[in-house]
Amino acid sequence: MDGHSISIDMPQLKKGEVNLGTSIMAVQFDGGVVIGADSRTTTGSYIANRVTDKLTHVHDRIYCCRSGSAADTQAVADIVHYYLQMFAQQAGEPPSVHVAATLFNKLCYENKDALLAGIIVAGWDKEVGASVYNIPVGGGLFRQPWSIGGSGSTYVYGYCDATYRENMTKDETVQFVKNTLALAMSRDGSSGGVIRMCVITEDGVERLFVPGDELPRFWEGKEVLPTVTSKKALVSSFTGVESVPIDVET
Amino acid sequence: MSSEFRLVPAPNDGASKATMKDTVGATGLHDTMRFGLRSLAAEANGRNPLQSRLENWEETQDSLKLNLQRNIYGLHAPVRQLMERRLVSENPHMPGLGNVNIHLDILMGRDETLDVADFFGGALDVESGPLDVRGEMERRRRILQH
Repeated sequence: MDGHSISIDMPQLKKGEVNLGTSIMAVQFDGGVVIGADSRTTTGSYIANRVTDKLTHVHDRIYCCRSGSAADTQAVADIVHYYLQMFAQQAGEPPSVHVAATLFNKLCYENKDALLAGIIVAGWDKEVGASVYNIPVGGGLFRQPWSIGGSGSTYVYGYCDATYRENMTKDETVQFVKNTLALAMSRDGSSGGVIRMCVITEDGVERLFVPGDELPRFWEGKEVLPTVTSKKALVSSFTGVESVPIDVET
Repeated sequence: MSSEFRLVPAPNDGASKATMKDTVGATGLHDTMRFGLRSLAAEANGRNPLQSRLENWEETQDSLKLNLQRNIYGLHAPVRQLMERRLVSENPHMPGLGNVNIHLDILMGRDETLDVADFFGGALDVESGPLDVRGEMERRRRILQH
């Protein structure tokens, strides 16, 4: 028994493991869903990938947003993708989002001792139309009209609760997702980069991309200390103002 | 085939049990003559946690695939697979060198892959002593040879 400790809590990321500390989100509207995610993958404090695509195709009209350990979520999504191909072949028609979500849940629950994976499954099927399912770490299946996940989501629960309305149009939903993710990315250190979104409808999947310099901007802080106007050199009391007055001999 | 959707072997797959898989003789008990006195403590404690993961890796992946098949097609699908594998593994000939079974390789989906054993010309596991034809026959036919 030397060298290995017993951990009874939820598994933490193992040393050196790549983290999808993240902001992910999915919102349904009449006729489809909008899913979105940031693009940062970290190993500790190093950003291993700053343009990650966390929106993973598992079937033609079913996507999942991945958060947690990058390796774990990729492994799980690969199996679901494999399964749904066989399932669609057997059924003769595209699988429902519920089937995909149930399988994700089964895998996440039965492997909860080995996985750190928080997944949002969303898509369109002809039985119910648009749907969003949230599968938190440890398993559990929760269908909701909208869902947020990842480390960055904690900062935007209030914004989402206050802003979400039923019967939004597609464009309003896209704007809602964009704003929420921008807010989460600006507060969460593990989220950032660009915003990737997919709009999934009966007719197809439209990919949207918001580069880092076009993110919606909100309150970004205001300098409240008075700016110094004296002509003395101020290296020792630099307060972050744009220009540092230097000593000018006249 | 275990009835779960395990992605990787459970962390304590081998550590909690002391089995006789490797040392069983013709009688079905631990073969003291060939393998020495049995130490339950050594069997239970002397294992690296990675060991059971590696030993059970292929079986776990195979089990996952069979369970997915069962889920989609019904119980008959994995049952047929396992039945075919068993049929193909029956080898009435002398057990001995070079356990090559291309039919089994095809069924297991590894006919186009190369592994260490394929080009090192020996068993993947540690050589279990000199070629023991009599011992193998004993085990196969369940006859005790003295």
